[in-house]
Amino acid sequence: MILALETSCDDTCAAVISPGGEIRSNVVASQGLLHERYGGVVPEIASRRHLEVVDAVTSDALERAAVSLDDVDRVAVTQGPGLIGALLVGLSSAKALAAARGLPLVPVDHLHGHVVASTLEPDPIERPYGCLVASGGHTFLARVEEPSSYRVLGQTLDDAAGEAFDKGARLLGLGYPGGPAIDRFARDGDPEAFRFPRSLPGEGLDLSFSGLKTSLLYRLRDLGEEEVAARRADLAASYQRAIVDALAARIEQAIAEERLERLAIGGGVAANSELRRVLGERCRRSGVGLWAPPLALCTDNAAMIAAAARHLVPLPYPEYLALDAAARLGPEATRAAA
Amino acid sequence: MNLLGLDTATAASAVCLLRADGRAFEVVPQVSALSARPAHASDLMPAVALVLEQAALRFGDLDALAVGVGPGAFTGLRIGIATARAIAAAQSLPVRPVSSLAALAAGAETELTLAVIDARRGQAFAALHRGAEEVWPPFVADPATLAERIRTASGTPDAVGDGAVRFRDVLEAAGARVAPEHSPLHVIRALHICRLGRSAPVAAPAAVIPEYLRLPDVTAQSPVAHP
Ligand SMILES: [Zn+2]
Repeated sequence: MILALETSCDDTCAAVISPGGEIRSNVVASQGLLHERYGGVVPEIASRRHLEVVDAVTSDALERAAVSLDDVDRVAVTQGPGLIGALLVGLSSAKALAAARGLPLVPVDHLHGHVVASTLEPDPIERPYGCLVASGGHTFLARVEEPSSYRVLGQTLDDAAGEAFDKGARLLGLGYPGGPAIDRFARDGDPEAFRFPRSLPGEGLDLSFSGLKTSLLYRLRDLGEEEVAARRADLAASYQRAIVDALAARIEQAIAEERLERLAIGGGVAANSELRRVLGERCRRSGVGLWAPPLALCTDNAAMIAAAARHLVPLPYPEYLALDAAARLGPEATRAAA
Repeated sequence: MNLLGLDTATAASAVCLLRADGRAFEVVPQVSALSARPAHASDLMPAVALVLEQAALRFGDLDALAVGVGPGAFTGLRIGIATARAIAAAQSLPVRPVSSLAALAAGAETELTLAVIDARRGQAFAALHRGAEEVWPPFVADPATLAERIRTASGTPDAVGDGAVRFRDVLEAAGARVAPEHSPLHVIRALHICRLGRSAPVAAPAAVIPEYLRLPDVTAQSPVAHP
């Protein structure tokens, strides 16, 4: 069994998966409400909360999986990227837990976890496949040939897609986190009511979202308070459409250029109902298989960290004792194949 | 009782294994570590493995853990406490939280000891001890307030710790004695965490958290986006 911990941002996560990739437990202690009134994650608050609950979340994951530490043969943990103080709680806990049991440890790149979340049972995606990871911190397209690594095809040059949702929701007065709020409001709105830019910089597969929120800001000024209040749903729907269109355009381009037959989506933005609808339609039309895992595997979770750890070389005790967290950890830092 | 003690309240990682036969195997940090960049993530566990090896013991031979809960640098404290709690969980051991300021004072072996840890942002964490007795429980204060309190103390305290070095001028002006800058007395030794830990009550693991003494600073750092 693989026991995995993930504390890179504001969710304290632990999971147990079998060597075959079955999820035995996937526990998330969410801090959402703690940070709501600040309109974002406050690192010190997140780190305090992680320490308070990390042991309980870990033992809960073992209990729900109906296993004990005796059944665990490797420990996996997110090494980065993320909030350094938050990462260090999970990493310190995982290192000490593994060491005290003489177990090997697998440090995992958080983004690698998102990329391979769809490789878990009961419906694992086959390789090669393309993957969109879109969250508040990251937005990129990747190609997966081998499960131990991934190649970034294109990424946002400025804001992440989730950040665009958050900023848009703040401007529209819809609250935090922005993605679910805009998604909800957009249901009653007309996505064609307003035109916002789809910024697709260059010939490649990169994205850009920073111009979008500026465009929304100007539009809100032009409309005036009353009109904005009256047309909030239309604004939300149109703004959401612009984000989804930009993502979908790059995905279609990637599918064509890379001759992809399968596509997976991950990250918090993968929960967006409009994105799921649009991608579902287009993939069906072009005969591309779409893997849109359940929400619990899209947002931050430890099962995906364990999924990545299945295919990485574990560090035997005591080689990992001096391991440090890395606030920045890129694809190039992904460890070699098993 | 084989007791493993840790402290990470300052920039220095301190580890000690107090073996059942009374022998101590200790990693005593250099005084220079107090002003270096903290490296608990890379230093703490190797030090734990080292003292175990020196004592010819394994994790399974431990009977309890003692950990310094500060006050001190938040990230460092969390690394030490998460480490202690995870070892305890892995081996079903009790954890005994110990005040890092009390351990600092215990090392000074002076009659009236003011333990001072640098709290950053121009403030200090401090506690006053007369022998084993805690005269002032831990508090956070700016140097001027700390100096005022020192003037009300009955006696001349000896001040130790990275905070004492940092605020030497203010503390000396208020009547405290401060050990020379490179004195090893400024370092928190895990030996004292162990000694105090022997008699400290066991706490439920979830209750072993840092003595923060300060609310999270929300204004100084803008919130970051949700992933
Ligand atoms: Zn994430």
